Amino acid sequence: MLATIRKQLRHHPALIPLFIFIGGGAAMSMAYLARLGLRNPDVCWDRKNNPEPWNKLGPTDQYKFYTVNMDYSKLKKDRPDF
Amino acid sequence: MAHPTQLGFQDAASPVMEELLHFHDHALMIVFMISTLVLYIIVAMVTTKLTNKYILDSQEIEIIWTVLPALILILIALPSLRILYLMDEINDPHLTIKAIGHQWYWSYEYTDYEELGFDSYMVPTQDLASGQFRLLDTDHRMVVPIESPIRMLISAEDVLHSWAVPSLGVKMDAVPGRLNQAAFIASRPGVFYGQCSEICGANQSFMPIVVEAVPLEHFEKWSSLMLEDA
Repeated sequence: MLATIRKQLRHHPALIPLFIFIGGGAAMSMAYLARLGLRNPDVCWDRKNNPEPWNKLGPTDQYKFYTVNMDYSKLKKDRPDF
Repeated sequence: MAHPTQLGFQDAASPVMEELLHFHDHALMIVFMISTLVLYIIVAMVTTKLTNKYILDSQEIEIIWTVLPALILILIALPSLRILYLMDEINDPHLTIKAIGHQWYWSYEYTDYEELGFDSYMVPTQDLASGQFRLLDTDHRMVVPIESPIRMLISAEDVLHSWAVPSLGVKMDAVPGRLNQAAFIASRPGVFYGQCSEICGANQSFMPIVVEAVPLEHFEKWSSLMLEDA
């Protein structure tokens, strides 16, 4: 199938940017979904060893993908330990 | 507040609303340019006597009209995502105010230091004083200090409502049994109006929201006065 695509691309090089943008978009969406599934503390995969990961949040950790103006490591920890 | 024949947003009274305004200008400019280009091409195609029956394909123009729209979309998406994450940031609020929606009025509770609570009913049209706005002014305004991050906790007592103040860039649904959090900073002193933005019965249009942003000393004076009255 790749050989067919390569042959078609040689005659229609305008399709190359299409592959780049669509492929890049799909890759970025899948990567973000995977990050949400694996890194999000609201998600529980292992009920035996890690049943409630949302109870293990650190006060200075960053869980969001991108912060504009906040530096979580500079926050002061002013709450009691469990 | 909104004025008659207004086309754009109200002037921003909070940094988030400013960002939203600028992003809207940016996206709208792109939309205008694309629409103008398309309109020009349509007019040019329709008003020409030239015909060409022999073009079958062209790789160069196909590349251009794949790459250029993709770049434009990326140029729109990046500021948009930035503002999305900006709106979500935890900002260490100085004050927490609860806004509770009822049929058909709002009640505000300032319970950080003392128990201050009051209801905010719309001023009926026949009771309007000179200079007050019809269907927008209320008997008690929600007073906040300027340049302080405020946390709003929004809920409802009976049916769905929505607490919205366009110039502060805030809109959050008031759901019975649920506490929703919204945050804003009033960058300048002033009076900012909003209206209930979720269908809640016959008088949804008649339960407005008025936020009055004042310097901190005035806010402290106001809250002691309100506590005495209550």
